[in-house]
Amino acid sequence: MPMTQEEVFKKVKDVLTSALAVDEEEVTPEAKLSEDLGAESIDYLDITFQLEKTFAIKIPKGELIPENLFSNPELVANGKVTPKGLEELKSRMPYANLSAFEQDPDVNKFRDIFTVNTLVNYVMTKVN
Amino acid sequence: MKFLLTDQLVSIEPGKKIIVAKNVTMAEEYLADHFPGFPVLPGVMMLEAAVQACAWLVRQSSDFRHSIVVLREARGVKYSTFVAPGHTLVITADVLELEATQSAFRVKGTVHGAPAIQGRLEMTHQNLADHHDGMKKIDRTIVQTQRDRWALLVERAASA
Repeated sequence: MPMTQEEVFKKVKDVLTSALAVDEEEVTPEAKLSEDLGAESIDYLDITFQLEKTFAIKIPKGELIPENLFSNPELVANGKVTPKGLEELKSRMPYANLSAFEQDPDVNKFRDIFTVNTLVNYVMTKVN
Repeated sequence: MKFLLTDQLVSIEPGKKIIVAKNVTMAEEYLADHFPGFPVLPGVMMLEAAVQACAWLVRQSSDFRHSIVVLREARGVKYSTFVAPGHTLVITADVLELEATQSAFRVKGTVHGAPAIQGRLEMTHQNLADHHDGMKKIDRTIVQTQRDRWALLVERAASA
């Protein structure tokens, strides 16, 4: 069922305020789930589940948050994602804005890719 | 596995403040999935280590009066740096409130001085016998186990 960006954003905002116990005002499009909204790994599970319920979509394991990246030495070396790794990320995460991460592809900063917009864009690909 | 997340007592000011250390090792089973190829202590474990630090101070201050000392509410928990195997998470818990059956703490966890976790924890202290008279024996067993564990922590703190 087609939805507009606005409609999706509103519902994603509800999911995040519920899952992360934050105020609505904090959930801005550019807010980083971990750094700004305090999301921790277990929260991502909750968020994924609530997105599935809210939008009646299925989010297969590894689709929203890519797996099997860090254990591959061609994709990650010395704590940084390699150029090959970045290409891999871009193909697996077309809904994400990777420009900031590309400047400093430190694995410790991988979580910063996940902003509210990342979720909205991902959901948009699933409902439209 | 038993989630005993306080390895070393660094210092304690009874009724005021406690500092404990948790070493992270590759042997911790949850690291296999968190994350494959990038093992780091899950945030919930950092939080549990902080809860346990607070619980030790409550128990020591009350001479182990309650068998159950657990988290009631966590507020404003923020995570910063990751804690990887080979690193030590040092948790400092400062008492904000310490009453008979409840307490509140400001907690901070650091790795090499860099912030890893911080927040405010509210704890509740109870005995199972408060609700079921027949549980007195279980309370005693739990308390004895906790006393034994505390004795280990204190003994090793003294020799460190």
